[in-house]
Parts: sequence; structure tokens; C-alpha cells
Amino acid sequence: MRYESVRLAGFPSAPVKKSRGEMDLSFCVLVLLLLSMGLLMILSSSFARAYYDPGDVTGGKAGYFFIRQLIFAVAGTFLMFFASKIPMKLYRKYAFHFLLFAVVLLLLVPFVGTKVNGSRRWLSLPGIRIQPSELAKLAVILSFSRLIAAKAGKMRSFKEGILPFAGILALIVGLLMLEPHFSASIIIIAIGGVMLFLGGVSLGWFIGAILVLGGALAVLLIFFPYASERITTWLDPFKSSSDEGYQIVQSLYSIGSGGLSGLGFGKSVQKYMYLPEEHNDFIFSVYCEEMGFIGAALLLCLFALLILRGYYIALKCPDRFSFLVCAGLTSLLFIQVFLNVGVVTNLLPCTGISLPFFSYGGTALMTELIEMGIILSASRDAVY
Amino acid sequence: MKFNRTSREPVSKPNSQMLRRTLFLMAVCGIFAFSLLLARLYKIQIIDHKFYEERAMSQQLRENKSSAARGSIYDRKMNPLALSAPVDNLYLSPGEISSHHEDRELIARGLADILNLDYNEVLKKTSEQGSYYVTVQRKLSREQSDKVREFKTDNKLKGIRLEPDSKRYYPNSSLACHVLGFVGMDNQGLEGIEARYENVLGGTEGRTLRLTNAYGTDLLFKQFEEHCPGEEGLSLVLSLDSGIQYFVEKHLKQAVEDYDIQNGAGAIAMDVNTGGILAMASIGGFDPNNFLAVSDKAQTVISQSADPEAELRAQQLKQWRNKALSDSYEPGSTFKIITLSMALEEGAADLDSTYYCGGSVNVRGRTSPIRCWKHGGHGSQNLTQAVQHSCNAAFVNIGLQVGAERFYDYLEAFGFLEKTGDKDENLSAKSGIDLSGETGSIFWSENVFCSPKNLSQLAAASFGQTFTISPLQLITAVSACVNGGKLMQPYVVEKMLNPDGTTAYEREPEVLRQVISAETSAKVRQILEAVVGDPKDGTGRNAAVKGYRIGGKTGTSEKVNLEATTGKKEYIVSFIGFAPADDPKIALLVFLDTPSDKSGVYVSGGQMAAPTVGKMFADILPYMGFVPQFEDEEISEAVVPELAEMSISDAENALYGAELRYRVIGEGDTINAQLPRAGSKIAKNSEVIIYAGTEPSDDTVTLPELSGMGYFDARDSLAECGIYVRSLSPLSEDGAQKVVSQSLPAGTEIPRGSVIELMLRDSAEEQLGKY
Repeated sequence: MRYESVRLAGFPSAPVKKSRGEMDLSFCVLVLLLLSMGLLMILSSSFARAYYDPGDVTGGKAGYFFIRQLIFAVAGTFLMFFASKIPMKLYRKYAFHFLLFAVVLLLLVPFVGTKVNGSRRWLSLPGIRIQPSELAKLAVILSFSRLIAAKAGKMRSFKEGILPFAGILALIVGLLMLEPHFSASIIIIAIGGVMLFLGGVSLGWFIGAILVLGGALAVLLIFFPYASERITTWLDPFKSSSDEGYQIVQSLYSIGSGGLSGLGFGKSVQKYMYLPEEHNDFIFSVYCEEMGFIGAALLLCLFALLILRGYYIALKCPDRFSFLVCAGLTSLLFIQVFLNVGVVTNLLPCTGISLPFFSYGGTALMTELIEMGIILSASRDAVY
Repeated sequence: MKFNRTSREPVSKPNSQMLRRTLFLMAVCGIFAFSLLLARLYKIQIIDHKFYEERAMSQQLRENKSSAARGSIYDRKMNPLALSAPVDNLYLSPGEISSHHEDRELIARGLADILNLDYNEVLKKTSEQGSYYVTVQRKLSREQSDKVREFKTDNKLKGIRLEPDSKRYYPNSSLACHVLGFVGMDNQGLEGIEARYENVLGGTEGRTLRLTNAYGTDLLFKQFEEHCPGEEGLSLVLSLDSGIQYFVEKHLKQAVEDYDIQNGAGAIAMDVNTGGILAMASIGGFDPNNFLAVSDKAQTVISQSADPEAELRAQQLKQWRNKALSDSYEPGSTFKIITLSMALEEGAADLDSTYYCGGSVNVRGRTSPIRCWKHGGHGSQNLTQAVQHSCNAAFVNIGLQVGAERFYDYLEAFGFLEKTGDKDENLSAKSGIDLSGETGSIFWSENVFCSPKNLSQLAAASFGQTFTISPLQLITAVSACVNGGKLMQPYVVEKMLNPDGTTAYEREPEVLRQVISAETSAKVRQILEAVVGDPKDGTGRNAAVKGYRIGGKTGTSEKVNLEATTGKKEYIVSFIGFAPADDPKIALLVFLDTPSDKSGVYVSGGQMAAPTVGKMFADILPYMGFVPQFEDEEISEAVVPELAEMSISDAENALYGAELRYRVIGEGDTINAQLPRAGSKIAKNSEVIIYAGTEPSDDTVTLPELSGMGYFDARDSLAECGIYVRSLSPLSEDGAQKVVSQSLPAGTEIPRGSVIELMLRDSAEEQLGKY
């Protein structure tokens, strides 16, 4: 099917003259499938807390979280298709503007941000709250992609291949640490690393970076008892199952009691206020409890397929920018999924990372769907 | 670099290194990492599934217990002694109060008003963070429960909850309190039968296992519930008889008052043929409905004590102590029954044996002679007289004739000691009754007791000194001496009833062994009857009740150990009796611990314990349905003379002489008929009807109910219609006695002139109607 020329509302001067190819259907289907499963899990995992309303948020309406997430999901889906229509060169053109925008928002956060649980991570606008760190991740990918694409062949030199990137990362991570937002910092650093890896930076730098980060981590553990506590909890969560280890122990109870086939959809007991953040960071635990190992394996397979398909699209991109954006966004998706599942299964030390398409949160979901839209946009140019 | 100048930037295809590195990422991120996660999930969900499931379950499952209905306790006539009634416990759910935004102050004020509690305390309970169960008050009265329910509905409160519980009631308050015991807040038996039969009475509580949320309340959708129904407790039927228990307690209390008893008292009544306990009482008592409350007298002691809390505890323990079961003592002369029985059985003594008492007797192994209580000596006496006199010297001789070995064997046979392999131990034994807290006996070891060089233990044991036994052991052994020689297993619980009233278990009286022969037992009865029945020589004569044959033995024992350690002279006076003496049904033991020598009564079993037992028997025996047999002169009654053909004035004289009044019907001069007929025995001063010139009517009269009526009232009102009464009970001097039973039931049609036999009781016995 060929599209007729489409006028984009925000870009009247840039009509898409040439009709583009079709987007990658399997990737799109996988995204919508995961999104639907995520919505169902929001309903299942959140209704108990929404009904009992211990935090005095929902007014006792069991569907409170589900309805809100549904609205964002519908809006996000529209945004995804919209983003898939925008040609890649526009993303490339405005990559730095977007980075600047994200940095400005990050700068605002420590001053006017909304404080939740001791950290200032949110900017509250009338009717909506956004997390600039979500935008920063996209901004890093877009801007790194453009930079790497522009510096074709010069990535091996320190001055060209490392310094500007390290500068951007340092700035963003520095701002994130002001909030503080540890998990977002890790993701940003990781995604920056992946971008440089794809961009062709020699492997020696990575070994160096790993050594430096390892050293920093060691310093962190030695001088910040808070951090070393996390490691102790990670190694034996049952030792402190009533305080530091509570979350992870409850998560393991959820996952473990699911067994092979699970308790059945909607029948988790752990979500009845035993498991904290059950519709948020620990939604995968509830999923495992209800759907069992079979369901969990199915879900991980879907994620794996999506990620493989994302890299596959990247490989088929005609230009470096699109390639880097696709591979970067796919890697971002992977990092989030891996860290989230790793944390809730206690494979990794506990930190708050949401599960894409599943965890409750409007801006995060919309940002993820826009990112998927960008990959879909790139897929229209893909040459198979 | 200009941000938007993308046109100068090169547009090139990804190079092969980029493709290689992407493939590497695909392998790592798309396959390896997910395999790692899958492996981790496999470990948690499949390998360690049981571990996590158990732990999750243990926090998710709540067990709700519903207490089982506790069995009731009845006496042998099915009078209730202990019952359970449903009540409510009140608790708050502060979590729900806060989630439903209920008015804490309203709740606190409302509940404080209804239950008379402190407003601030309740308010504090309404605001306990994170809690869903805070008890406000347990076991509310029905009135309080109703008010709380009303308050809850009126204000639509969800945070106030009532849960069902039950409360134990003892309808007779302190009656048989030591036997029954009492229960704690959770209806768990703490003392007495309640504690001993906890497993039977308590039943099994019902349990409901269900999944709950973290607040302990139900899930929104029921997922799992396992119900395990409880089992109601069985009810117990005791061998106890409330009526007998009442009489025993009443007279025991009276004795403690009359004789100024310092250290409490105890009494046991036993069915001699079954071993069933008919009554068991200890002074002082308590009300099991409120077992923590102490008597006013104890309260005075507590308020004067330096440490009132410790003293309160001590007084509570004291009032809960079942002396009749838990105190062992030196039985003294009451034990002579045992010595007598074994001597008769072994032929070491017989009815015609004679004994000489010079006031003391020398025993091998003792430096000083054993003195008889009558220092002048009893002189020459036969066996019956020796027992009547309670002569120690005679009994030392009897004991010596039985011999230590045989004596020791009988001690064992009567259940005073259990032989163990080790002959040097102090030996003890218990009767094994189904009550907790029974004390045991303490005896000389066989080696010491049977030493041929030293007979002093044997000599002292012959009249009941130098060892201790429990009152229960003594009454069990004496029952064997008089019931034909069978030692019975004493017991309290006769039957267990299922909740539907059917019998779950019934105890058969258990004969432990034949200790003496029936013939010997008959001789023992005969001798012991003489102890009570002989108004001149019998030391137990104060226990006699007119119209009944009673046997028994007195005892006065000094607390030898106490004197040895503190120099204080204290006594326990006791009496053990049985009736009817020819065919005993009941044995009764009373012991009074430490009578004051200031009471004005000579401190001895014969002066203090014997009359107490006598008073008990006087009430109990008629109650048990034994009709007293009186010699004619004992009863105040008149014999109606033959009046036929007499003139009125002659008849007047004859009736005056017979202590009878009269009423004439008719106008004639000579008497042609009379009511009742000549020779009838009727109450003195009854109004005889004489007919002069007319005939008495042939119709019948309906007998009215007489019980509760004054004796004279009954006599006179019945005489109106020509019915006469005679009393089977001796008349008191004031005649203020009331009818308890009549020989024909109310409603019977009887001809005029009939004579009804009545049993009477002192009018003070209003309580009797209760049983």
C-alpha cells in the first residue's frame, strides 16, 4: 500500500513529498501485543490496592489505575503511529534541539520539581507530570546517533570519539545525581556505552571504562553505607525480610508461589498489599505469580523477539543515523527489561526500574511508545 | 557545529564493524541475557517453588479459630453445677476506622459511655496505626452487647466489631467450688475438674483457614477457604450430690465459726460401695464466677500487709486450695479403725479379747513409755470398749499382736503405700482420684518399720501417729473396712455426656481388692456403731442422730513436726462416720485444722468433729431417703383410745390423758363413732372427732400438698376434714418444724380418719427447696 502525501500538523513547511515504505508489521504487532498484556496486568495487579486505597489516592475505585493507564496507552499508540510517520531526517535535524530541551528540563527539576519519596524527579504541569530523565534517554540516543553518524571514521580518536560523548553523559548524569536518580543514571551511562560501542570506539576504552566504573563503585560501597547495605540485602534478602529486604523477599514469594502454571489471571494474593509497588516496578512479579513459569517464559520470549526484531530493523537501515537510533532504542528497551526482571528476581541488586509497556506510569509509557514509533519510522526506510 | 545543518554531514551506510557489533548485541541482549533470566525464573518458580510457596502461604493464610462450646458439669441428679453461655467480645479495627474516615471521637465517646470505660483509653485504641484488631473489652453482658450493636448500626460504623465468645457460669456460686475449679479468660480450665478434664470439657476448637490480604481481612474474591469444624466438649456428670454437698458445706462452715478454727477445715462424703465422692468441701472457699475476689477477712489481712500484692496472691492461693485433697495429716485415732480391721481379720484380736490399760505402755526400742490419753488408765476392757474409749495402750498391744510385717502388708493393701523395689525410701502413695492436686502419704520405709529391735514405729502407727496420709486415703480405706472389705477406687466423674445428651462414657465402680472379709467388716461395723451409739462410753456419741444407726471414730492428732520445730502445740481434730451402720451407704470425714483453745469447747475430735458430722448426718440421711426408726418414747405422739359406747365426759377424760383434743358432732350422749379409729398413732394435741348420735360420712378427702407447711398447721388444718398426721422425725422443743415429705403424695383420695406420716425439718432449712 502506498500512502498519499501526508501533511504533518507540526511541520507545515516540510511535507513528505515522497511516499515512504511500509512500517515493519511484526515489530508493530509485538509492541501492541505487549502493550495489551501490560494493560491487562495493570488491571489485575492494581485493583486490590486501588480498592483498599491505603495511600488515599484512588477513592476506593478499583479501576482507577487501569483507566488512567488505558488513556495513556491509547494516546501513546496514536503518538507511536504519528512518530512512525515522521521521516528519520527530521529526527536527525532536531536531535540536538531535543537534547538541549531535555537538559533544560533536567536543570529545572532540582528547583521546581515535585518531590516523591525523597527524590525530586518530576516536573508537574497542569494535568500531567513528566519525568525529564525519560526524555534524556531518548535525547542521548538521538544526539549520539547524529554525532556518531557525522563523525564517520573518526570514532577511534579520543578527542573526537570519546570526549564530546563523555561530556554530554557527564552533564546529564551530573544533573540526574542532583535529583538523585541512580537507576536513570545507570541506564543513561549504559545506553551511552552501547552507542559508542556501535559507533566503533575501540574496545580498549570499554575495558578502561569498566575499570573506572568498577573503581567508582568500590569507592561508593566503601564510603556510602547506603550503597553497601543494598549489596548485603541483595546477597541475603531474607536476613532483613522485614525492612531493607522486604520488597525483594515479597517479590520472590510472588514469583516463587506462581510455580509452573501460576495461580491464574487475577488471582495473585501477594498483590493484596503484601508486595509493594505491585503495579509498578514489581508488576512482573505479579505476572509470574498469576501466569507461572510458562507465562513468564512466554513474556520473555516476546520481549526477546521484539528486541531481536529491533536489531534486525537496525541492520536493514540504509543510513548510519537510522541504524544507530534503531539499535540504540532497541538496546534501551533491552536494558530496561533486563534490569527490571533482574531486580525483581534478585539477580541484580534492588533499584527502581520500570518494565516497559507494563509498569504503571503515563509519561514513561508514552515515551516508550514514541520510541517504538521512531523505530517503526526507520523501518519504513529499511531495505530488505 | 550548527544544530540543524544536517546537509553537510555525511550520509553513509553502516560499516561492517557496526554490523558485527550489532550481531554481537543481538546474541548477548536478544538471546544470552534472556536465557539467563529464564534460568533464574526456572530456579525460583520450579526448583524453589515449594520453599517460596510455603513462606508466601504462611503470611497469606490466616487461621480463624472458633471456640468450641464447653461441656457443662452436672451433679449426679443432673443439677447444673457449671454452664457456658454465649457472650460477645468487643474489638476495634483502627485500620478500617481510618480507611472509612469514621469519627474516632464519636466511637470513643459512645463505647466509653456504654461500657463505662475511660474515654481517652478508647480513643487511643481507635487510632492504633496499622492495626486491624484491638480488643476493647471481653465478655460483655448481653445488655452491653445490645447497646454496642445499636450504636454500631445507628452510626453505620464498620470499625467496631463484636465476636462471639462464651462465659462460664456457676449457678450455685461457691457450692463445691474446690471440686469444680474455675476457668480463665479464654475458658481454659485452671483448677479442679475444669482443669483436670480440660480435654474432655473443652472440645476441639473449629478452625477456618483462608487467604487474606496484608491487613488480615478477606480478599476481594474468595479464593481459598478450608473449614475444619470444631467439636463440642462433653458434659460431665459427677458423683457429687448438690444436696449432700450443701449440707456438708453448711455445717463445716458453722463448725469453723463455732470452734474458732484457725487453719481451715475439710470434709469428704463418699459412697462407701462405689468410691464415688458425694461431697468434698474445704474452708475457706471462693466464688468460681469471680475466683480472684477474696473474702472480707482476707481483704483486711491484705490491706494491713507490707506487700499487698504478694499477700493478695497468697490469699488467693489459700482460698483455692482444696484442703480435703491437698493436705496430708496424721490421722490419729481415726486410724484405729484400720488397726482394728487388720487385727480382726488376722485373728490377732476378737470381740472377746481383753486389754488392760494402766495409763501407759512400754514398747521395745522406746526409752519412755507410750502414754494413753487418759493418764489414769482405762483399766480392764474388752475390744469394743477399747475402741469406744479410743484407748492408745490397748491399740499398742493390738498392733504388736498383728506384728510389723503383717501391719505393713495391710498398709499397702489399704492403699496407704505403694511398695517399690527400694526398701529404704520413704514410701508414698495416692488414691489416684480423678482430681488434680492430690497429696500423697508419707510412711516409714519397710526396713525401719519392721525392725525387730525397735517397735516404737509400729506402736505409734497402731493409733495413727508418726506418719501422714491424705483425708481421701483414710475415707477410702475406712469405706473398705465397713462395706464388706472391698477397697474401691475413689472418683468424681461418673459419666460423660455427648452434646446430644447421650452417654459417651460411664464409669463402673472399680473394686481394687478385697482387703478384709465381709465377716470381719461386719464386726468392725458393730464395734464402730458402739463408739457412736453408746451415750455413756462412746467417745463418738456426739455424732449420734436420733432414729439412725451411725458408726464412727474420733481422732485428735497433734502436729508433732510443728511442735518439734516451733514448740507450738497445734491439733487437727477429726471424725469419720458412716451410716446406716448395719448397711452403710455413706461415709463422712470431717477434719478441723487447729481449733482455738479459747472457743470454750474441749479440743478433741469427740467434742468438735463428732457433733459436726452428727449434724451433717441429721440432714443428709433424711435427704437420702432413709426413714428414721424411733423408739416410741422418742416421738411425741399419742395413741387414740377406744371411745365407743363411752359417755362424752368419760371420753373427755380418756382423751385428756392421751394428750388429745376433741370436737363433738351430733347431739347424742353416747359415742357411736370416732375419727381416727382407736389405736391410731397421731400427733399429740390433734383434734379427734367424736360422733354422738350421728355417723361419719363415707366420702373421701383429697390430700393437699403439705411440704413447707408448719407441722402444727398441717396437723390442725388436716384435722378439720378428719385426716391425721404423725411425725417420723423427732419434734424439736419449739415445734417450729416444717414438713419435707408426706407418706402419700398430694392429690391422693383417702378416706376420712386416715393417718399420714410426715418427715420434718427445722424451719431454718429454707435452702432445702433448692435441691
